[in-house]
Amino acid sequence: MTPPSTDLLQGTLDLLILQTLAPGPMHGWAVAQRIQQVSRDVLQIGQGSLYPALHRLEYKGWIRSDWGASENNRRAKYYSLTRAGKKQLEAELKTWDRLSSAIGLVLAGGGRIPEAQS
Amino acid sequence: MIAEFLSRLRFLFMRRKPADLRGDIDEELAFHIEQSVAQHVAAGVSPEEARRLAILEFGGVERMREQCHEQRPGWWLSTVAQDARYALRGFRRNPLFAFTVLATLTLGIGATTAVFSVVDRILFRPLPYAHGDRLVSVGLTAPIIPEEFMLGGSYYVWRDSQKPFEAFTSEIGVNPCDLTERNPARLSCAGVEASFLPALGIAPVLGRNFSLDEDRPGGPRAALISYGLWQSHYARDPAIVNRLIDLDGNQVRVIGVLPRDFEMPTLEAADILIPEALDEAAQRRADPGRVMYAFARLKPGITAQQAQVMLGPLLDYSLRLVPPAFRKEVHSRVRSIRDRQVHDLRLAAWILLGAVLAVLLIACANVASLLMARAAARRRELAVRSVLGASRGRLIRQILTETLLLALAGAVAGCILAALLLRVFIAIAPEGVPFLLKAHLDLRVVLFTVLISLACGALFGILPALERPSTSALAARSPGSLVHAWLRRTLVAGQIAMSMVLLTGAALLVRSFRNLEEQNMGMQTRGVVAAHIELPHYRYDTQQKQMDFFLQAESALRRLPGAESVSLSDSLPPGGRHGDQIFNIMAVAGRPRPEGTSAGTGGMVAWRWVTPQYFTALSIPIVRGRNFTEADRTGSDCLIILSSLLASRLFPSEDAVGHRIQLVPDGPWCGVAGVAANVRNAGLNGADEPEYYRLRRSAPADWNWYAALTVKTSLSPAAVEPWVRAQIGAIDPTLPVDIETLSQNVSTLAARPRFETALLSFFAFCGLLMAVIGLYGVISFIATQRTQEIGVRMALGASRADILRLIAGEGARLIAFGGLAGLAAAFALSHFLRSLLFNVDAHDPASFIAVPILLAVVALAATLIPARAATKVEPVAALRYE
Repeated sequence: MTPPSTDLLQGTLDLLILQTLAPGPMHGWAVAQRIQQVSRDVLQIGQGSLYPALHRLEYKGWIRSDWGASENNRRAKYYSLTRAGKKQLEAELKTWDRLSSAIGLVLAGGGRIPEAQS
Repeated sequence: MIAEFLSRLRFLFMRRKPADLRGDIDEELAFHIEQSVAQHVAAGVSPEEARRLAILEFGGVERMREQCHEQRPGWWLSTVAQDARYALRGFRRNPLFAFTVLATLTLGIGATTAVFSVVDRILFRPLPYAHGDRLVSVGLTAPIIPEEFMLGGSYYVWRDSQKPFEAFTSEIGVNPCDLTERNPARLSCAGVEASFLPALGIAPVLGRNFSLDEDRPGGPRAALISYGLWQSHYARDPAIVNRLIDLDGNQVRVIGVLPRDFEMPTLEAADILIPEALDEAAQRRADPGRVMYAFARLKPGITAQQAQVMLGPLLDYSLRLVPPAFRKEVHSRVRSIRDRQVHDLRLAAWILLGAVLAVLLIACANVASLLMARAAARRRELAVRSVLGASRGRLIRQILTETLLLALAGAVAGCILAALLLRVFIAIAPEGVPFLLKAHLDLRVVLFTVLISLACGALFGILPALERPSTSALAARSPGSLVHAWLRRTLVAGQIAMSMVLLTGAALLVRSFRNLEEQNMGMQTRGVVAAHIELPHYRYDTQQKQMDFFLQAESALRRLPGAESVSLSDSLPPGGRHGDQIFNIMAVAGRPRPEGTSAGTGGMVAWRWVTPQYFTALSIPIVRGRNFTEADRTGSDCLIILSSLLASRLFPSEDAVGHRIQLVPDGPWCGVAGVAANVRNAGLNGADEPEYYRLRRSAPADWNWYAALTVKTSLSPAAVEPWVRAQIGAIDPTLPVDIETLSQNVSTLAARPRFETALLSFFAFCGLLMAVIGLYGVISFIATQRTQEIGVRMALGASRADILRLIAGEGARLIAFGGLAGLAAAFALSHFLRSLLFNVDAHDPASFIAVPILLAVVALAATLIPARAATKVEPVAALRYE
């Protein structure tokens, strides 16, 4: 029933959150739902790591929080990217690109490709 | 990067109240759960079931709250503050524990730091010379001068043909000299060879060293002044170089200023260095020549012992110049400058350091034992906190915070105590302990102390903390850690052993000191005031002038009210310098003079110049013959009085009175007027030397620059002192006079043993106190731990006496074990004290019996108090205990 969970690479959670928040302000619940949705249920962010991560990013000054009204008119905390956050996102995306293409090269050049598991 | 940093700073300083923050987080999480519920409801689950599922999915709320908190910058800081607050609360709840630990640490650290500061210079600190470890003192030793010396007749030969040294230099001693310009002062001047400073590796801070030309007789007069003199007398004026000053009535050019930390290798105070300006050619021919002190720099890789062997041929050369009687007793000696400076002090310094380290060990053991007891008592608390979600790291951090807090407080208090103790040391310390006045707490010593206390705290703090808090500790009946109990018992036994060693040492020194104080000096010191006067050499340049002054002073003091007798002598017993000569050069009329090398020197004989009232002033009885009379003083006869010891050696079977003795070859023949009782004359603890007194007649030939005027008075010495000063001032107002009572003089001689005894006793007392506290702590802890067992035993019919025996027996075993080990160690170690002891055996039975009894009584008392408390337990209460 539940899709196989994929352990997130250390540090990628920050990247995912920043990327998710890039279009506009969003509350914590929506961030989790969005990541799950976009990744077709492959990536499920537990609350246990989501909220500490949001707080950490806020303390780092990459995102900002404001209280606002939710779709069903409840008080909710909305997070949005700051200028520093946008810069950080760009930098991390570049790093990610470099890293993933490098890994791709290694895997492609490694001879036999193991059969896909899923 | 900067933006991030600023943001962190902002959060650190603009901190919202924790309650506020918590509210925010809670509201955010509540929203999340509601969204989750709504989703489940939308999927067709009933609202109750949806809420249950949502909460289940969410997981530990409290844990997440904590995690959100932990993201906050500066969170660490706040937990440290929290830990510290918690620790302080704990100390307030248990002030006795905190106070005991603090007091123990303070005492241990304070005493160690103070003593270390004192012995540092004596034992460890490098000398203020370049490569001071290669500098040695070189010379001959003979009974007549205690330290190695050289003679002009040998020195130049040694200097020019020695092999083991790369530099060889000399000085001729420190003498008083007078600065006679607008601001006159009595100073001390040291005569040194031109090569002296370069050989020691010292460069003047200002100006230059002596030139060879200045170090010749009749050369230009030059002087190097000390930094202190430059500061006090010339206000650090750089123009002092090349200025002419009046020294002993001569115009002398100042050619430089010595470094601030300069000291003579002999540690004599020297305000001015002048060239020794000896006539080398004359000295080479002279026999024996001028007394000098030689210092040398060893070539790399050569030890002092090797150098001494290599000097063998030169020693043979010097021995040829020595009178045959002397040869057997003259040797060569090469030793490091530090050895020369501290010689007999080194042992005392090591003993003090050892004693204080023992105190520190006892203190550390005490702290460890107390911390372990506290940890055992807190096992439940820790287990509860662990179950409530505190991580192990957090618990360890908490306990470490507590111990480090105590250790730091102990270090601060210890440093303050050390500063106070150091002042006390300097106040009660004897003169002549080198470096003591310069001892101070420096950064190095303080750092050493703080490190020790931190290590102590960290080690013993972390030991209990490392133990995993087990859930079994939650259960009321936990049997405590067996390892800890064993360790604590060992620590206490060790403390008792160390106290035993310290106490025995102290007891031996106290007994020795009492022997020293109560010994018969052979004279009365009460009511005797002595004025020491050294006449300025340049103004009193003839013996006639010297005699005139002293005779005038004598008759002036005779007129003082209450002056019973006034005498003039050139030295005073029991310490102080006095004349010394070889026994075997004395000749008795009518007997052959002892000749040849076989006789040896026969040892040394002390002698003094005295006037007739010397014996009445010091109450020395004349046992045979008669005292000198006033009439003798104007006569032309040389008269002497022998001490009983000398009389019995010279005339074992006949009466000495009436014999004539030639004191030195080619000297005058002197008649023996009488025999006086023996007086201690080699310090308080030296072996008495035979002695004779020579009458100081009113003839210029019998006088020199120095005399001690002794006044025996029926009034209080304090009242007489200003009168003496006034009378001498009336004759010569600029003359420095040094006045002391003879009791003070004797007491000064006892100052060093007193100092050593007081210090060691103090440490022994501290050690005993701490060991007893430790013992008390362990026994009362054991008693509390066994409360329940005691209840069971009593319920089963054990009497209170049985319980007392049970608990006190535990203490008695520790005392017996530690005490025996300590006694054995003390027996093995006490011979190190031997050279400090006077008329007490190092294995003195009285001390070795009294100390264990004292220790046993005190220690048993410390066990009986908690043991008795244990017997007061009501069985029913004990069974329900916890």
